[in-house]
Amino acid sequence: MTANVIFYPIIVPLVTALALLVTPKKMKWGKEIVAIAGTALNLLLAIALFKSNIYFSAPWSGFGIDFSLKLYQFSSFIILAAAGFAFLITLYSTASLFNKDYAKPFYVYLALSLLMVNGAVLADNLVLMLFFWEGLLVTLFGMITIGNKHAFKTATKAFIIVGISDLFMMVGIALVAYLGGTITISQINLTTAGLGGLAFIFLIIGAISKAGSMPFHSWIPDAAIDAPLPFMAILPASLEKLLGIYFLARISLDMFELNVHSWASTTLMVVGAITILLAVMMALVQKDYKRLLSYHAISQVGYMILGIGTLVPVGIVGGLFHMINHAMYKSCLFLTGGSVEKQAGTTDLAKLGGIAKSMPVTFICFIIAAASISGVPPFNGFFSKELVYDGALERGMIFYVAAILGSFLTAASFLKLGHAAFLGKKQGNAEVKEAPMRMLIPMITIASLCVLFGLWNALPLNNLIQPILGKRLEGHNFSGLPTNALLVIATVVVLALALLNHIYGVKKTGKALKATDHIRYAPLLGHLYDMAEKRFFDPYNIGLDIVNFFAKIAAWFDRAIDWVYNILVVNAANLVTGLIKRLHTGNYGSYIIWSLASAAVILIFLIRAI
Amino acid sequence: MPSLMILIPLFGVIILNLVFAVNSRMKKAAFWLALAIFSLQVVVAVFHHPALWNDSLGRIDSFLNVSFFVDHLSFIMFICIGMVSIASLFVARYGMKDEDDIFKFINLLIMASIGMSGIVMVKDIFSLYVFMEITAVSSFLLIAFPRSLESLEGSFKYLILSSIATVLMLTSIGILFLAAGGTDFDAIAAAIGASYENALVLAAIGLFICGLFIKGGLVPFHGWLPDAYTAAPAPVSVLLAGVVTKSAGIYTMIRITTSLLPHYQSVNNILMLVGTISIFAGALAAIGQDNFKRMLAYSSISQMGYIILGLGTGTILGIAGAVFHLLNHSIFKSLLFVNSAAVEKEIGTSDMNRMGGISQKMPVTGTTSVIAFLSTCGIPPLSGFWSKVIIVIALWQAGQYAYASLAIIASIITLAYFLSMQRRVFFGKLRAGLENLKDAEGGVLTVSVVLAALTIGIGIFFPFVFNTLILPVKEILVR
Amino acid sequence: MTIINIDNALLIVTAIAAIWTVMGRSLLKATIGLAVTSAAISVIIFRLESPLAAVFELSVCAGLITAVFVSAISLTKPLTHKEILYASKDRMKRYIYLPVILLVLGAALAFVKIWPGLVIAAPAAASQPEARSLLWDFRRLDILGQVIILLAGAFGIVLLFGEKKNK
Repeated sequence: MTANVIFYPIIVPLVTALALLVTPKKMKWGKEIVAIAGTALNLLLAIALFKSNIYFSAPWSGFGIDFSLKLYQFSSFIILAAAGFAFLITLYSTASLFNKDYAKPFYVYLALSLLMVNGAVLADNLVLMLFFWEGLLVTLFGMITIGNKHAFKTATKAFIIVGISDLFMMVGIALVAYLGGTITISQINLTTAGLGGLAFIFLIIGAISKAGSMPFHSWIPDAAIDAPLPFMAILPASLEKLLGIYFLARISLDMFELNVHSWASTTLMVVGAITILLAVMMALVQKDYKRLLSYHAISQVGYMILGIGTLVPVGIVGGLFHMINHAMYKSCLFLTGGSVEKQAGTTDLAKLGGIAKSMPVTFICFIIAAASISGVPPFNGFFSKELVYDGALERGMIFYVAAILGSFLTAASFLKLGHAAFLGKKQGNAEVKEAPMRMLIPMITIASLCVLFGLWNALPLNNLIQPILGKRLEGHNFSGLPTNALLVIATVVVLALALLNHIYGVKKTGKALKATDHIRYAPLLGHLYDMAEKRFFDPYNIGLDIVNFFAKIAAWFDRAIDWVYNILVVNAANLVTGLIKRLHTGNYGSYIIWSLASAAVILIFLIRAI
Repeated sequence: MPSLMILIPLFGVIILNLVFAVNSRMKKAAFWLALAIFSLQVVVAVFHHPALWNDSLGRIDSFLNVSFFVDHLSFIMFICIGMVSIASLFVARYGMKDEDDIFKFINLLIMASIGMSGIVMVKDIFSLYVFMEITAVSSFLLIAFPRSLESLEGSFKYLILSSIATVLMLTSIGILFLAAGGTDFDAIAAAIGASYENALVLAAIGLFICGLFIKGGLVPFHGWLPDAYTAAPAPVSVLLAGVVTKSAGIYTMIRITTSLLPHYQSVNNILMLVGTISIFAGALAAIGQDNFKRMLAYSSISQMGYIILGLGTGTILGIAGAVFHLLNHSIFKSLLFVNSAAVEKEIGTSDMNRMGGISQKMPVTGTTSVIAFLSTCGIPPLSGFWSKVIIVIALWQAGQYAYASLAIIASIITLAYFLSMQRRVFFGKLRAGLENLKDAEGGVLTVSVVLAALTIGIGIFFPFVFNTLILPVKEILVR
Repeated sequence: MTIINIDNALLIVTAIAAIWTVMGRSLLKATIGLAVTSAAISVIIFRLESPLAAVFELSVCAGLITAVFVSAISLTKPLTHKEILYASKDRMKRYIYLPVILLVLGAALAFVKIWPGLVIAAPAAASQPEARSLLWDFRRLDILGQVIILLAGAFGIVLLFGEKKNK
């Protein structure tokens, strides 16, 4: 195989995008055929390239900025995963976006996004990577704008939030170049001491904001409502996660030498744990199918960051395994959301219900994916979460507790979602039919992969994940059943608790949609006490206040980030501005004085030395 | 060829007044003649084939008995000048209805462009001054074009401050002439190198730089700039913001510092300090403005600061970044002024308090403006991002960590004022009374779209543009 | 070397006339001040053995004065006596610092001791060609440029002082 093959993952999507642009509008199936053919070709290519090692480098724009690409175990894996998702979601979109006038730009953006992801993953030079990285931001912007009428505002919000964090990453790259003397990724080897720590933090900010972690997440739930649905399945749920976590792993495993007890590791774990908990708490109280999913998309990133942040082999393997698992079940979930939206006409949980009978395949796929995300054995999510728990426990009880608590809340919210959307009483009169075949195939494929990766976890772990870490593992093997029986028991107990909790909630309120309300409004132990007791000394209300307080903090945190971006900066600057504005009276006499006085200062400065 | 860059437009002016002035139909055709001249200028500068620029047409140069000096920096400036003049031409046709006015405007526009073309070609400090005056006189007249009290006031302020700059520079030229015995760049560079420690020579350098600061509108020499930009008619604002201050102030600064004083660290310190002050004062002043054009004017000041800051590093990368930012800024800032002209014309005011939600009614103007804003703020991957990155990296490499951090902080302030602005003007609820608003006419929209496409294109094909167009500029240092 | 020689006297005359031009309350006096300033400068230039420059200065200044006259008359509207008084007071207030700045600057320059550096070895005065041929031989481009400036100025006069149509 010649080295030129390495360009094909960049060229194929580019050609696809260009071909899409010139496809005439009148051809009925033209754009669909081109899009499917292009992504399929890309998938075949990714399979062919899988596990090959190619390196290519050519001088590009000087100053050490080379056009160097590196294909190896890790990057070929990400490319394969991205290609698979792109193909399946294109197939899905041919049905869900058929007749929509934004279908064509969507395919173009999808192809371009694929190009950018492939490029960023292959790049072995930080500036080259930044180039593709930013390209993905543009396609992100474009994809959101083609949604509904609020989409432009959301797109701008996403663009600005991600853009700002990318600015940080840029500074980080400058710091790396300054400290390490090179921006070739495979040659960088830094520590987190002093300025290196700053560089590390800046790079991490870029990586986790691409992955959608807190506090860079607030555009995702908005986009879930405003953007076209396949967008959520392709970018925030799969491609961006793959890319963000890939880069996070590169930073913390390859570029920086971190040891287990460094502050950097702890920081990552704290960010991960906070993201898990806050986002899942927000998810719990959502009343919209897509919005609920989007908060989970944020929450699950926490597990990956937590897993990689542990820096112990089992945690890293778990984090990476969770990355691929999450991309699968979350895109599957979004796809079921898309089917429901298309067939039932809404994603508002209050208006949904009882559609399981009429959409059995969608429902089964939903159950598999939901069980996966909740960590129910024997699906894939269970195994990756166990690995993450194992790693977290090794680093500290508190992280494990946060992770398992997140798991409990995840399970609770999915029980609520499934119950409210698919079971229960039917709402409205409209006859709901099963989604068309082209939408079902991707869901079924991904759902069966979820099962496969769970039952036969040796396949992904031995072939995909563990070789990435190579010598770090030193004889460990994490495939097969989890070794720590206690953890498994704990997980099962937590899941059972979640189920009990759900049943209790439904009983108490009578509605599946309100099944989690008691978590929001009640302390965990409060409902064990007698009703009468509450009237005198009301632990219920106190507990309600406390939980409300935390729920409010979660919500406030969410809004506060918006506030900082939109208001604080402007107001603070306005104070200074007032002064400057008052100085500009319009009197040219004073302008002359400014000029002459400054000229005098400059002259004196220049000749002072003599 | 270089002399033709002056002679062809000059010929154009003469033909305009001898042939085209006869009746109103011919006067309308003046637009196309001017368009042809400027397009020719852009084309020969983009495809700067050596056969055109070197010896083949040397006879005219030898008649003028002058050796011009055309390098890649000049080509970039030619592109800016031609491009912005074309934009200004379209805006003029859109904004002015009286054909006589347009005719006079075109004459002055061509003359201003002659002045700027001269500035970017000469290698003689006195000729530089002469061409600067051509540009300045044309600009005074262009600002005063509507003959309203406001525009006369703006023009007058520019006249006064500009003549102070002239006095400073003439004094400096006199001293340098005395020291060097000639006004050629090479002779002066040699003289400066020889009398390195001479107070008078240093004073001359300082005076010249201060003059350029005034011409370029850097803080605290900027007093004339907001008034002039605001008072000028729309096409003139495009021209002033797009190229006039850049070629008269910034380009000359780049040329002077690189060819005459490459090793004066104290000059570089002054440049960086003034640049940073401009960045902050401009950005902070922009936040509080209610007038669209005035805000853009302050933002211009702030962006000029970035260019000067990059120049102040004195390194190849810094100067390349400065030139790159100059190119980018002249594209996106003229785009913004073109759009402000459209908004002003359609709404009848440039008061931001009377705008709101106009993106709904003027989609092209709204979208291209947002692109330009984002580029100004340095949001990746638009063109402004790359040039700011290069400047920041250059500062960092030069060891100016404080300035590098300040540049990044200032870019956040830029983001803040553009955010607040776009909320007030383009997004949000449509303001009452604007229901019948229409987008501008085709010509202006085409200009906006082309400039926006350039902003995106340069950003996406950044390595290509940077390599082929910007990086060769380093020859001005290595010489 | 005496301090009071003819050159210094001319310099002082120039300065006083210039200040008078700026501070003077009526346009007429200001114009006369400008003329005196220009004449004094011409004499200085003449004494510095540069007759061409002196003549140029005089002619340009004469043209300039006419232009200022015309423009001032066409741009201003007559003021009442009270307004004139107020304006002149205002001007006094605004420009009173001009001499102050001059003094401060002078003092500053005196204290930083740049005077020894003032002496620059004048370039060897090789056989100076005659001024006119020098201008044409070496500065053709500048002459062209000046022609363009004049052209622009002519346009300006047409533009600013021409009758506005339909108004």
